[in-house]
Amino acid sequence: MPTVGIIANPASGKDIRRLVAHATVFDNLEKVNIVRRVLLGLEAVGVTRLLFMPDYFGIIQRALEGLTGDYSLKMDVECLKMPLTGEQEDSLVAARLLAEEKVGCIVTLGGDGTNRVVAKGCRQVPLVPISTGTNNVFPSMVEGTIAGMAAGLVATGKVAPEVALTRNKKIDIYVNGSWEDMALVDVVVLKEQFVGSRAIWHERKIKQVVATCGEATNLGITSMIGALHPLPPADPRGMAVKVGTGRTKVLSALGPGLIKSVSIAEYRFLDPGERVVVETIPCVMAVDGEREVEVGSRDRVELVLNCDGPLVVNIKATMDAAARRGVFRCTQGHGSS
Amino acid sequence: MALSQEKLLELYRKMVTIRVFEENTAELFAKGEIPGFVHLYVGEEATAVGVIAHLKDHDYIASTHRGHGHLIARGGDVKQMYAELFGRKTGYCKGKGGSMHIADLSLGFLGANGIVGAGLPLIAGAAFACKYRGDDGVAVCFFGDGASNRGTFHEALNMASIWKLPAIFVCENNMYAISLSQELHQNIDDVADRAAAYGLPGISVDGNDLFAVYEAAEEAVKRARNGDGPTLIESKTYRWRGHFEGDPVVYRTEEELQAWKKKDPIERAKKRMMETGVLTEEEDKAIWEEVRSEIQEGIEFAKNSPLPEEESLLEDVYCE
Repeated sequence: MPTVGIIANPASGKDIRRLVAHATVFDNLEKVNIVRRVLLGLEAVGVTRLLFMPDYFGIIQRALEGLTGDYSLKMDVECLKMPLTGEQEDSLVAARLLAEEKVGCIVTLGGDGTNRVVAKGCRQVPLVPISTGTNNVFPSMVEGTIAGMAAGLVATGKVAPEVALTRNKKIDIYVNGSWEDMALVDVVVLKEQFVGSRAIWHERKIKQVVATCGEATNLGITSMIGALHPLPPADPRGMAVKVGTGRTKVLSALGPGLIKSVSIAEYRFLDPGERVVVETIPCVMAVDGEREVEVGSRDRVELVLNCDGPLVVNIKATMDAAARRGVFRCTQGHGSS
Repeated sequence: MALSQEKLLELYRKMVTIRVFEENTAELFAKGEIPGFVHLYVGEEATAVGVIAHLKDHDYIASTHRGHGHLIARGGDVKQMYAELFGRKTGYCKGKGGSMHIADLSLGFLGANGIVGAGLPLIAGAAFACKYRGDDGVAVCFFGDGASNRGTFHEALNMASIWKLPAIFVCENNMYAISLSQELHQNIDDVADRAAAYGLPGISVDGNDLFAVYEAAEEAVKRARNGDGPTLIESKTYRWRGHFEGDPVVYRTEEELQAWKKKDPIERAKKRMMETGVLTEEEDKAIWEEVRSEIQEGIEFAKNSPLPEEESLLEDVYCE
């Protein structure tokens, strides 16, 4: 039974960047609309079972309530049985449960932060990340309908994994020798006292960056990486940057409408497995765009580039392959007349 | 955000003062020593302290029925506060207002308020006055998730937005409108979403994280002082006690309460302050002891103060 999971984070898109930058507001009702389109896309390509993470707002339930008449779904829909905390822990638990259920694909609605948490629990299940956050590099700004169809094509096996999937990189964070956390996109070392409101907007506080990728078209800290040297996700290398007094200055889009000149002391490419020691202690580390880890004055932190990150569905490659195979050609009694 | 050790300790001490004040109030109320109603702020300390830290002397605050924390954060006198709770002549309202009417105009504290959502238009007015005078003053309104369903909320945000008033609307979303959970009283998860309807920025913050609230308020106050208009901050938090003292609290689970107690704003601030060397265990103990002593003095002051005279009954009812 081709099964897809959905994890929709109701909390993304409301942070302080609406004050300190010019970030868009992404309300939960819009997420409900996106989920409706995802569900219709899934069903159109033959997905027959859906499992979803519950949330306090009831994004999926509301999406389902709106699908009536011609839009009624035939697929079986089940809510994961799990306790709700309203914290990011929910996404981790849901990802683990979906992996145990061996779903063919997980569609996520959220930002880099949501996907990081899902990636920690999803094992080898591929992700279709739809961006609903602010400074997103990992998830795409993709139409829900198309994202749903691509997820369904992978879950139903209509497009082979070797064509549809790409393996992403990650950064493992070790504190005092023990694995503490991971990042999909970047770890930023900040001369900050607290996690506080989580976002990063003061470039003067950035001391070090380790990133898996970065392109000039990115928004966020990886725009700095892209401005130094474009590093696409497919490149196996990462990059380590020290921010400070230096001859190189790069214009970086740190947030929506927040473009700053950042002075670079040095930068270098990283090979898989290479370690970078955090030099500013104590500090706060931002992980995938959000201040997350508070480092104490006696801690030692190392960041390691790892090429064994989550599998992600390449939506364009998947849809193109399906078209070439004639998957979208309607036969008699199926699809439009 | 860069906070000096002195400032951090000041903010921490204020949170501790609110906690100790409220816990003592609960005890005194249970013993029948405090007349009327009290609504306590235990668990929500980070919001009042994180926001009010940014206010100047000429700024304004409108509070709620759960207002003790706001006034303590503003520097209110705990002796006068207790005296008011005890109905004594030395209280903020000469003992005739009680918990829900405490005001201190010298601090720009326009009062607690027994009517849900009534502070919102007051603050739109105060913000208008600040703008009219051009003195860079700002006005802050605290209110709850329930109040965000009142007409006053919508009217105040609309007026503040069209007139670009220096107002900061702080929704203390403690998940319950009296006994009604948020999911039963509004069809949204984040009160911050409502800001967009009035053309002003709305953000949600972790209301149990002093530093998250502090940063959000810092930016909102900066916007207001710069003439960029109002902001809605939704501070997601939780009251540890019932809606009022004596509330049997049958509408939520013990499990939920315990989960929120693990996110105690005071413990969270203390942990990080210790990690960064701002606070030691000994200093922390000293702060709690000093605050407890200050609170006991306040209670003794109130108990030893006279009741208002009968002939003063009609005084201060109207402006004279």
